[in-house]
Parts: sequence; C-alpha cells; structure tokens
Amino acid sequence: MNAIVKPEPYANKLKSTRIAGKMVNEYWEMVWRAKEEGKLICWYEGSAINPFLEAADICWVHGEAYSAMLAARHQEGPAQAAAEARGYMKELCSYARTHLGCAVSNQRNRNDTDTGVSNAPDDNDLASKLPAPDMIISAYAYCSTGQQWDEMTSRLFGKKIPIFNVSIPWIWGAKKDSGYLKGREWNETSAYVARQLNDMVKFIEERTGKPYPWDRLREMMGYVKRASELRLEAMDMCIATPAPASFFDWVVSIAPINNLPVGPQIVDYFQTVRDEVAARVAAGEGAIRKERYRLFFDGIMNWTKVGWLAEKFAKYDAAVIAGRYTHMAFWQEPKLINPQDPVLGMAQNYLICPNNHSAPILIDLIMDLCSKYEVDGMVIHASRTCRAFTNPQFMIAEAATKRLGIPTSMFEGDVTDDTFYKDELVNSRVEAMLEAIDARRLVMA
Amino acid sequence: MKHFVMGIDFGSTTAKTVILDLQGKVVASNVAHMGAVSGEGVKSSIDGALEEAGITQADVGRTVSTGYGRRMLDIADKNYTEITCHARGAVAMVPDARLVIDIGGQDSKVIAVDANGLVAQFAMNDRCAAGTGKFLEVLARAMQIELQDMGGIALEAKEELKISSMCATFAETEVISLLAEGNTKPNVLGAVHAAIANRTMGLVGRVGKKGPVVMTGGVAKNPAAVHHIQKALGMPIFLPKAPQTAGALGAALLALDDYRAENKDEIALALDGRLDLQMDEAQHCVPGCKGVLAEAEVAAVPMVPATGSSWKRLQSHI
Repeated sequence: MNAIVKPEPYANKLKSTRIAGKMVNEYWEMVWRAKEEGKLICWYEGSAINPFLEAADICWVHGEAYSAMLAARHQEGPAQAAAEARGYMKELCSYARTHLGCAVSNQRNRNDTDTGVSNAPDDNDLASKLPAPDMIISAYAYCSTGQQWDEMTSRLFGKKIPIFNVSIPWIWGAKKDSGYLKGREWNETSAYVARQLNDMVKFIEERTGKPYPWDRLREMMGYVKRASELRLEAMDMCIATPAPASFFDWVVSIAPINNLPVGPQIVDYFQTVRDEVAARVAAGEGAIRKERYRLFFDGIMNWTKVGWLAEKFAKYDAAVIAGRYTHMAFWQEPKLINPQDPVLGMAQNYLICPNNHSAPILIDLIMDLCSKYEVDGMVIHASRTCRAFTNPQFMIAEAATKRLGIPTSMFEGDVTDDTFYKDELVNSRVEAMLEAIDARRLVMA
Repeated sequence: MKHFVMGIDFGSTTAKTVILDLQGKVVASNVAHMGAVSGEGVKSSIDGALEEAGITQADVGRTVSTGYGRRMLDIADKNYTEITCHARGAVAMVPDARLVIDIGGQDSKVIAVDANGLVAQFAMNDRCAAGTGKFLEVLARAMQIELQDMGGIALEAKEELKISSMCATFAETEVISLLAEGNTKPNVLGAVHAAIANRTMGLVGRVGKKGPVVMTGGVAKNPAAVHHIQKALGMPIFLPKAPQTAGALGAALLALDDYRAENKDEIALALDGRLDLQMDEAQHCVPGCKGVLAEAEVAAVPMVPATGSSWKRLQSHI
C-alpha cells in the first residue's frame, strides 16, 4: 500500500509556537479539574483581569478564549446548537453564543442530575465540561454585547451568581489635548478604571474571605511585563524582508500573553519565540515559502480557520505580517506597567483595547503599523457577529487607500461561527487585490 | 508565432469568449447561456468564437480565463479575477472611465479605476446574490415573465412601491405579497429595480462616486436597472454595446499583453516599418492601459432627472 505523502505546507510556521498548544491544553485541563480541587471559579470576558484572579487562587475562565478553543478544535457546534435551542439567535456574537451554550449545557446536566438521573458530561463534551462560575466579573471595553452576555450568563445560572461590574469608558479623543496615551481624558479615565479595579479587589476578598495577596500580583505583573516586551521585540523584527513570522504565528501566541497562567513560563515562551524569530532574520528565513506581497490583516481572528487562512495566504506568496488584533491588543503597552504598583498600568492596558479608541486615533495607529511593516495591501476580515471590530472597517479601508495608496480587500467570516465564511468569495477578493498590486508594480517599474 | 489571443469569462450563468488579433482588434465575440458554470456552455462559447473568427484553437497563442469557473479551464494559460478583467475591459471600452459598475449573474461589483486605468478600489456584494442577475432571474420566475422583458415592463411603472429585502428568496415572498395586494406587475417590477439601484449605491459609496461611469455585465442590458442606477447616481452611465463581454475582453487584453511581452522581438520584426502599429504596441504593456484598439461602441444613456420623491425614497435606503 502506498503511504500518503502529506504535501509540504507553504506556510513556514514558527516551531516555537507549538509549545503554546501544550500550554493551552494544560491550562484547560486545570480549569476542568478546578471544581474537584475546591477552587472558586470566575467567568469573565474582554479585559485580561486574569492576573487579579490567579493571584487570589481563583480559577479564571475567559469566555472568548473558551469559545475560540472550541472553534479551533472544530468542537463549537454542540455549544452553539445548545445556545440556539435556548433562544439565543445566530446574529448574536458567536463568542457569546458559544459560551452561553456551555452555560446552557452545564445547567442541563445539573438539572438532570437533580432529578436523580445521572447525566455527568461525557469527557469529550467540552461544552458541558466547563465548570459553572462562582462569580462573574464584567469588565468589557467598548463591546456592546459584553455586559448583556454577562447578564445572560447570570440568568442562565438562576441569577444566583454574584457579579462585579468594571466600567471601562470609551476613549472619545475629542478634546484638543487628546491623543494616544495622552491628554486629560486619558488621565481621568485611567484613574477611574484603576479605582474600580481596587474595588474589584475588595469584591475578590469578599469571595475568598482572605486578604488580597498584592505581593503575588506584583510578582505576576513583572512576568507579564517582561513577556510582553519580548513579544513586541519579536514582532518588531518582522520589519525584515522576508518577514520571519506571520500574523498567524502571533494569533497562536495570543493565549500565552492573554489568559494562560502567569509565571516564568510565559517569559520563557516569548524568549524562545523571540530567539527563533531573530535566528530566522539572521538566516533570511521567511514565514512563507516565497514572499511576494506583504499584507496587513484588519479584523478579529476566524478561529475555525487559523491554519486554513495561514496556508491560503502563503500559497498566494502573501506574507500577512501584522494585524490590528495581534499588534494592538494583549498587554501591548508594557511600559505602562509598573510591577511594584501595577493597578494603574493594568487599567490603562484595558483601556487601549483596539475597539475602544475613537476612529481617528485607531486609524492613525493602524496606518503607522502599515507603514512600519511596509505592507503592499490590507486584507479585512469583517466578522459577521462582531460589530465592535467591524464598525470602522470601511473608514480604515478608505484611509489605507487615500493615505498610503495601498489596495484593500474585505471578506466576511466570523470569530467562531464557520457558516458565515465563503471560501470562493475570499479567493476572488484576495486574488483581485494581489492582481491590483501586481498591476501597480508594473506601472512603477 | 500565433496571430490571435483569447479571453474567456466563464461566469455563473453565461460563458463569454472574445478573440483578438495581435493589434488588439476584436475578431470574434460570443455569449452562451447554458446554466450555472456550465462546461457545455463554455465549450459552445469558445467554439462559436473560433468559428466566427474562422480559426482553430491551435491558432491562439495565449488564452486567459476569468469568472467563477476560471480555474476549471484546461485551455487557459492564466486566469485573473473578474475585478481585474472587468476593469480592463471596461476601460478599453470607455477609456476615461473612473468607475465601473458590473452586475453579473451572481455578484455585483463596483470598481474605482485610477487615472492610469488601474484598479484603485473595489467593493462586491457580500452575503448573497443580493441585487444581481440571479436576483432578477428568481423574481422573473415568480412573476411569470421572461427575464429579457423585465426591464421594459418595469419602465412602465406608474407608482413607487418599496421592496425592502434584498435576499432573493425573501424578495420573492415580498413580490408575491405585493401582487396579492393588487399592485400591477410594472409597479412591482419598478420597485425591484429601484431596490437593485439602492444596493448598488451602497457599493458605490464604499469606493467613492466619480465619473465617467461605465456599466458592464448582463444586467447592463436591462434598461430599467440602468435607469434606476443612473437616477440614484445622479450622473450619466456609459453603456458599451456588448456589456456582457467586458470581462472576456479584459481577459483577452491581458492575454495580449502577455503574449506580446513574450514574443516582443518577433512582433517587432513583423511590424517592421509599421510605426503606427509599433506606437500602439508600446502602449499595450500594463493591465488597465488605455492604449487598446479593441472596438467598442459606447453610448451614454440619456439622463433622467430624479424626482423629489424617488430621491427621498432612495436616500432612505442608502
């Protein structure tokens, strides 16, 4: 019998990011065991408040991360079906819908058990396996669904779960002195969020019945700061031609900076990634077989299609180098973090979620990234159920064309609902943009 | 060296073929209607064009394909997207064009073309067949009229109705409901075409309104669609004589560029002493270049001023 020969991939993924997969698996195993180990569990969405929770020995469950994990494993279907059956419509944020489906599944099992019928979740049923929360912290920047999602979760659990709300104001950027990380509005909103985070710590103390371990948080934020610096250093090296790593490598590296346990292991992870990227630059090794185009990716990730899209663009000889999602989020301003007094810097990093800026600031930041990485074009993923990310995309496209003279191409998909993605439409749009780039090059030659 | 090049637009509902000689003159053009991405349809179109030109496939030096079925054609040496080909074809037909509106069987596109005739920006229908030829086909069937008669009947509309859904399936329900309420076919069809215009204006808004505007694709042959889009745009639309073949013409011109570049020396030898042709030749070098000899009769459709009420209705959709 002939052995099946797997074709050599066009995408030359970073080898070091494989460690992230193992770290992610170990983390979720820990979450699934948490109830048995007698840990308190907190569900939260949006902002990376996990260090506050982890420091207090509370098991943290980031809603988007769980939904993304299910989608990446192509196991999002049962959770989404459960949510839809419960009445949550398809147009609702699919992160929320998937996560709410987990809550529905969890409650269904509990209720069945209450009637005396044993219905413990199958070990492979990842929707039902997610342990129920003991508390909810709502700390979402900009997203209009965030608080509703938390409220719906609360209802699904019979409104018995205590909730703490952190209000993260929108950065209007309308004053004369406004700008990125500056101005009176910035200072006031930073202080406002920091005050709430201190109140959140009191809420955590009430739940645990113990004084808050500030020293542990300080130590953890030292690791976060260093990991973030290394991550940004590695990203910066991608100004090289060919680019040594792709947007998709940075997508795979989101979990270690955003929601995995904090400790020396995340520093080690990003040190390894940084070293591999540096070695590639020295060797002239690219993230794809042959780099003919350099692209910027505007849009949240389509988690069911990470490998698929990485390979698709690589086949087009298109190196997708940077993106709003990866380069403008996830502790992206480590200089603001003072590990000895971390709360203000944490508040500020929550505030600069890329959805939370007014359009002029957001667009300037994106144009700067496009210039820095010398991209030839911009591919825009309009996520059908994420209004927060898609709202400014036509304006971003217009700015790219007018300010930088680069073509853009938009395709529709979704964060975790595969049914919104249409492959042939993506092909036509991306190919048309690349053809436009080729034509321009011919004229310039 | 061969003396002809071919462009094939293997579309979702029709197949189109254009054959050019090496000076860029159209020697044959064929449109075949044979169903969705039909192998028989494209064969019929290619055979028809070859017969018209009086040549065989062996006489064709380069073939470029476009359209949804562009990758399915073994005889094609290269393939390009409809965006590139329609822009190229439209600019060949209307050399000063800055905006190309192409409404085909399954998608509608608005392409902004820069001063060099290159694609500057484009927008396409995103979620479904909203506002495309397929949309009109479904509604023609629902109203039991022939597709080619739709435009003429729609222009007889006396009353302005509103179709809000652009989903072909739900619009069909809406149309049946309007007919059941006693509305006339012309009035309902007028609303259908106005809805297409509204949808198209959404795409125009994304790439920016600028003129001259040229309309290509099968729907450009529908006078009501052209009328309503023109009214919504507030500027004249230039209509090539054969709007359906713009994509195939663009593909043929790309084939010509490619073949000429590859056979530069032989062509120069063949054109020795023909300075006029050599100058033309020099211009055929980049996609979108305006120096093409492709023949295209173009007519600007007379402008009909938008009425106050229709403007308000259109603006309420935009």
